[in-house]
Amino acid sequence: MRVIIRNTALEASEYIADYIISRIQKFRPTESQPFVLGLPTGSSPEIIYKTLVNRHRKGEISFKNVVTFNMDEYVGLPRDHPESYHSFMYKHFFSHVDIPPQNVNILDGNAPDLAVECASFEARIARYGGIELFLGGVGPDGHIAFNEPGSSLSSRTRVKTLAYDTILANSRFFDNDVDQVPRHALTVGIQTIMEAREVVIVATGAHKALAVEKGIEGGVNHMWTLSALQLHPHPLIVCDRDATLELKVKTVRYFESIEQAGTDARTQGPPLTYRPRMYVPGPVGLGKTHQELTPQSTPQKVPKDLRINTELSRSMEDDELTPDSMSSRMVDSAIGGLDSALKGDLFFDRMGARVLSH
Amino acid sequence: MPGKTAPPRRITKFTNCRIVKGSELVKEDLWIDSLSGKILKDQEAFYDFHLSPDEVIDLGGRIVAPGLIDVQLNGAQGFDFSVPQATTEEYDRGLRMVNKGLARMGVTSYLPTVVSSTPEVYWKVLPSLGPTGSEAQPQDGAESLGAHVEGPFISPGRNGIHKSEVLRAAHSLEDIVECYGSNNLTGSSQTVRMITAAPEVGNMLNQIPSLTSKNIIYSIGHSDATYEQALAATQSGATMITHLFNAMRPFYHRNPGVFGLFGQTDRPRPFYGVIADGIHLHPTSIRIAYNAHPTGLVLVTDAMRLCGLPDGVYDWTNGDRIVKTGAQLTLEGSDKIAGSSATLIECVNNFRRWSGASTADALNAATATPARLLGLEGIKGSLSKGADADLIVLDDEEDPFSGPTLTIRQVWKRGVKVFDTEHDAGVVPSKA
Repeated sequence: MRVIIRNTALEASEYIADYIISRIQKFRPTESQPFVLGLPTGSSPEIIYKTLVNRHRKGEISFKNVVTFNMDEYVGLPRDHPESYHSFMYKHFFSHVDIPPQNVNILDGNAPDLAVECASFEARIARYGGIELFLGGVGPDGHIAFNEPGSSLSSRTRVKTLAYDTILANSRFFDNDVDQVPRHALTVGIQTIMEAREVVIVATGAHKALAVEKGIEGGVNHMWTLSALQLHPHPLIVCDRDATLELKVKTVRYFESIEQAGTDARTQGPPLTYRPRMYVPGPVGLGKTHQELTPQSTPQKVPKDLRINTELSRSMEDDELTPDSMSSRMVDSAIGGLDSALKGDLFFDRMGARVLSH
Repeated sequence: MPGKTAPPRRITKFTNCRIVKGSELVKEDLWIDSLSGKILKDQEAFYDFHLSPDEVIDLGGRIVAPGLIDVQLNGAQGFDFSVPQATTEEYDRGLRMVNKGLARMGVTSYLPTVVSSTPEVYWKVLPSLGPTGSEAQPQDGAESLGAHVEGPFISPGRNGIHKSEVLRAAHSLEDIVECYGSNNLTGSSQTVRMITAAPEVGNMLNQIPSLTSKNIIYSIGHSDATYEQALAATQSGATMITHLFNAMRPFYHRNPGVFGLFGQTDRPRPFYGVIADGIHLHPTSIRIAYNAHPTGLVLVTDAMRLCGLPDGVYDWTNGDRIVKTGAQLTLEGSDKIAGSSATLIECVNNFRRWSGASTADALNAATATPARLLGLEGIKGSLSKGADADLIVLDDEEDPFSGPTLTIRQVWKRGVKVFDTEHDAGVVPSKA
């Protein structure tokens, strides 16, 4: 895990914008091999988009060969409703840059069959060979995308019921009328995010401090889905100072020292380890999808090494994309001691902390 | 754009511009489609049809406003709508020249106005002046939204420069139909969109409902109507006042006349035309009217045929000659004012300086408000999505003599650029 701390939300956002730009530029995307970018909506990402748009206007970055996948969208909200994520993305990003419209992928919350829409979204991601960089925000309750507390950590794109807190929080966009807020959303799953080669999370403001603390210092827990990133080989969390308020001074100093030691994420970035680009053949049609939608019944357990893959395609849940997860965790091993020191504390006050947060 | 073979640029995106939205100028992009000639519902186009702009124009902070609408214009480019030519073809040729000339001045649609004339004149000229409608081609320039017949059913005492000999009084609807020609008032060949008449003359008051039922706007003007008569006219369906203050009974505190309509609240207050050329009205009069009824003010030029021609000396009727100096026309050898030839954008500038209206509201008075008068809200005079892509691009600069001045830099008609000062610099509209 890398954590970058900046003094203000603006600086944190600009850091991420710079980071994304340098990633795209290094990738040298072409029409046949585009850069696949996962994108969020929300107030923190808004500043990031603004910076990206400005940099695009200055001619520093082109999105011609960038393919985007958005994390989520409300169910049943008209696509052109001002609060839809289609509208948000169009208003803040797509209408200002040179991305070809056909490169834009946003879940359709009005699709006749939502399950098919989710499966097709996963298939489209797979067909592009997976997501290179997934940018995300984090909710005050630690959710990433609409993976509300209690979401399965191996979930994939699916329909999700919004948590009451989220509905309350989002009612400010719907005339403060809770009844107007859609109750369901389509969202990528934790597993979808985990399969991206790199995940960048922006967390700004004091109201995100608890989520950041739970995500970084707490254990992996489906009540704070952000914490799933601890299992990702290349996560990056960019905070402003306010968002670190709940972190231990020790944790903050440690991450700052990493940055000061010159292992700045922007320059040294993810390829700390050799990472061959792998081609993962995606499911060809919808009929043959291997998406892990919620199974109808408990799947039968088959011993893994006894199963013969006769379809010559890799199933998506094989952890082929993260062959170096152990080694990357060892690079950050200095935090290992921290973990054990924290363990006792967390065990005793976990319930209490959760009560306070609600 | 290199690499694209299709020469016609279909979708244009204006960026880095301020667009008129309500009473504000807002920084927003604007997309137009030359295929449909409309302002694009850009978000829909992006997601549904995967459309992206063929051309992006950075306007460097300039203002984009809807194309101007002039509901009272007697002629331009040396051509007078009220003067029939030897043949219809010749008349139509003159009309096309006017349309092109007007577009260069930012007027993208208008009501060609015919002053009081004999029935023969109406029968001859009106068929050419009807609404251009869907046949409008961008290259043709300004389009007619229908004719405005100013007179001849007007008050003999308030005739202004209209010839007294041709003035009439209508006693029945037949008198009106006979005068303009029935084909010009009804059916698919209808050309008349607005009538200026004095309600107190003859039995005009009782004809108003039949006129408005034909989708003709009845405008009170050239009238000696008392307040009561004017009120009765609005009760019968009058929705407009032709050039307020000019050629009407002046405001008097014991009988406020037509202007008194602004003080009543029983009926919706009518729209009203204002000639803000600095000659017809005192700036303060305009400000009084605007403060009394800001949403009804429609800027008109009432311009003569010399509008759009360079300064100089021109032949006039009866062997007189007229000196044109800017907007002002004077009789040669005297200081006598012979009318105005202000352009509509000059009127917008004057109005903005005198009234203290915001830039957007000053532009609205020549775009959104006349469109509302004509029942074309959201189609003309608007930058909302789905409206006709008739646009002007303006610079807002401080002029050392006149103060803040809007200057037309580009004119777009139905999604196609028809005028650009950068390319057409120094080109003077050709003389008749």
